[in-house]
Amino acid sequence: MLKSLKTTGAILALAAGLGAGMAGAETLRVYFNAGHGYDTYMDAIAQFEADNPGWTVQFEKYQWPDLRTKIVADFAANNPPDLLATPGGWIPEFAHQDLLLSIDDYAARDTDTFDYPGDWFDNAVAKNTIDGKNYGVQIHHTCATLVYNKDMLAEAGYDAPPATWEEFREVAAATTKPGVFGFAPNSAFIYYWPWVFQAGGDYFNTETGKVGLDSEATISALEFLSGLIHEDRSAPVPVAGADYEGPQRLFTSGRAAMIITGPWDINPIRTGNPDLNWAVAPSLTGEVQSTVQGGVGLAIPKDAKHPEMAWELIKALTDVEVEVETSLRYSMTMPRKSWLADQRVQDDALLGQFGTCLPYSQDVQLPLTLTGKFDPAVDTIIQTAFEEVLYGRADAAETLKAAADEANAIIDAK
Amino acid sequence: MTYKQRRALTAYAFLLPAILYFLVFFFWPIAIEFWASLRSGQPLIGESEFAGLKNYIYIFKDRLAIKAMGATLIYAVGSTVFTLLIALVLASILAGPLKARNTIRAILFFPYIVSFVISALMWKSILDPYTGLLNAALLKLGLPQQYWLTDPDAAIWVLVAVSVWKDIGYAVLIYIAAIQGIPNHLYQAAELDGAKRRHLFRDITLPLLMPTTLFLAVIVMIASMQEMALPYLMTGGGPANATRLYSLHVFDTAFQGLNIGYASALSFVMFLVILFITWAQFKLLNRDIRHT
Repeated sequence: MLKSLKTTGAILALAAGLGAGMAGAETLRVYFNAGHGYDTYMDAIAQFEADNPGWTVQFEKYQWPDLRTKIVADFAANNPPDLLATPGGWIPEFAHQDLLLSIDDYAARDTDTFDYPGDWFDNAVAKNTIDGKNYGVQIHHTCATLVYNKDMLAEAGYDAPPATWEEFREVAAATTKPGVFGFAPNSAFIYYWPWVFQAGGDYFNTETGKVGLDSEATISALEFLSGLIHEDRSAPVPVAGADYEGPQRLFTSGRAAMIITGPWDINPIRTGNPDLNWAVAPSLTGEVQSTVQGGVGLAIPKDAKHPEMAWELIKALTDVEVEVETSLRYSMTMPRKSWLADQRVQDDALLGQFGTCLPYSQDVQLPLTLTGKFDPAVDTIIQTAFEEVLYGRADAAETLKAAADEANAIIDAK
Repeated sequence: MTYKQRRALTAYAFLLPAILYFLVFFFWPIAIEFWASLRSGQPLIGESEFAGLKNYIYIFKDRLAIKAMGATLIYAVGSTVFTLLIALVLASILAGPLKARNTIRAILFFPYIVSFVISALMWKSILDPYTGLLNAALLKLGLPQQYWLTDPDAAIWVLVAVSVWKDIGYAVLIYIAAIQGIPNHLYQAAELDGAKRRHLFRDITLPLLMPTTLFLAVIVMIASMQEMALPYLMTGGGPANATRLYSLHVFDTAFQGLNIGYASALSFVMFLVILFITWAQFKLLNRDIRHT
């Protein structure tokens, strides 16, 4: 009887203890990209939980389109997460709608231990700065540049990668043979822009307030790409689709000598074909040397329940040691200057080469998103026009002019 | 209260859960959507203001919406016609005494139970012009490479073909059940009158299958008009928006563009179009049933 009472008492005490623990427990909700749930981040989160007893991080992973649907619904229901990972463009868009919290006060408070924005590349900070206020911290900072098969170029008589458009066209033609393309272009929207930027064009001209779609530079970029595909036949028509892995697969299987891609393809290429002799080259120079910039930013929704802890988690996830470890293990490039300066990063030839492209890379939509007039319909119109030229062989000047008028009408109406 | 009234009340009591279900999950969202369609900005999720019929008028100026509606009609009509025609032929064969008919039925039905995501990704992989199995086979046979997914004129028909492949098993099973339900004495009587096989099919089987055809036509047509997963996964709506079906356009407008008011108007127009097509199908196919 006594034993039974003791057991019951112990169970009740345990239950009471658990209850008290539960009552004190707090959950930090985090939305992240499905492809970025790296072990290094999981380790950082485990450490964060250990450093903050009673706190649990609810780490939810979604593909970008699903994440967008989810966060839009959450904003509508006034139930956003505490921390949100975003691809390019979302932070200015949501900040303009007064949905995000400025991180300036937190950053100013912690400047002694966490050097933001001082240790971040300027163009990584600019992505999240609206009207002088910072609304997010970049966690990944990427760019796409030329990747080439060293053996295929050597076989065609080239011991160095092309540096200009003329050289590129020549090398692409020389490395093309039955079943193998000199260059495999990508159909995803962002991959058209290295060519436009290198031709001196832009997505949106802040001086005129118009898209740069019908500029001579954009037309010449599209005509150059069209020439590779339809005249030289050194590049295949890119396959439209929801993913952007087609060119990487052609490159990895030795069926394309050159592609333009970012650090996210380092691991797939390495694991897909460990024997492939390949390298990363600086971006091409047309009128200028340039390329596109990507990355992921972390933002705290204005209605987040635990903004203070979300900021602490941002600091943990963007710690330079976490960045270096993540980049070495998962081949991701990072936004911190001290990351690029780290000897371990410098010693990794592929990572280091991608890192050198970051300073001259450009965020495609940023000039428009910062104005608060960005509308994804503009991207759809531009992509349609590009595809009509490349797939349907429509006249570039005429097609791009019509698309520019349509896109400008949308922007003007905002 | 009379006995008749009590019976009616009991009936309504039993119907109440279903009525509530339809009111809450069907009619209320339709009403909300119509309300949102009359507003500009972000009704339901943010700030909005009354816009009257502005959103509806803009649809006629929206080049992408018009193109998407055209592509959707091609896709829906193509999927419905080919699914029904092929299913009817296969069901006519499989309803008869055929060896291994159960195995064939199972094979035909298999795509229907496979996840749409898996089907779409599998076909995308098979049809890839450069790394796909089908082109590899064509090249091995000395035939020219085909650009199914990169040719704007061909891509929509590729989606139709995949849709037919996916739905055919379901339509075949329904048709087989319907064919087996036709009384045998009708065929025997006709044969006594000297009817040949083609007459039996044309004058007995086809007319008596009309209710089944109507059912399948409506089901397949509605599902096809609402299709989004297939173009989203296989082509992303490309190339050059050739496979940007209407639902994909609505999705992009709502969740990528956050233009909820306009997306609601687009959705409501689709609702009306589907309603009209379904009504037209009933009118056309029901008339034939009465002739029998």
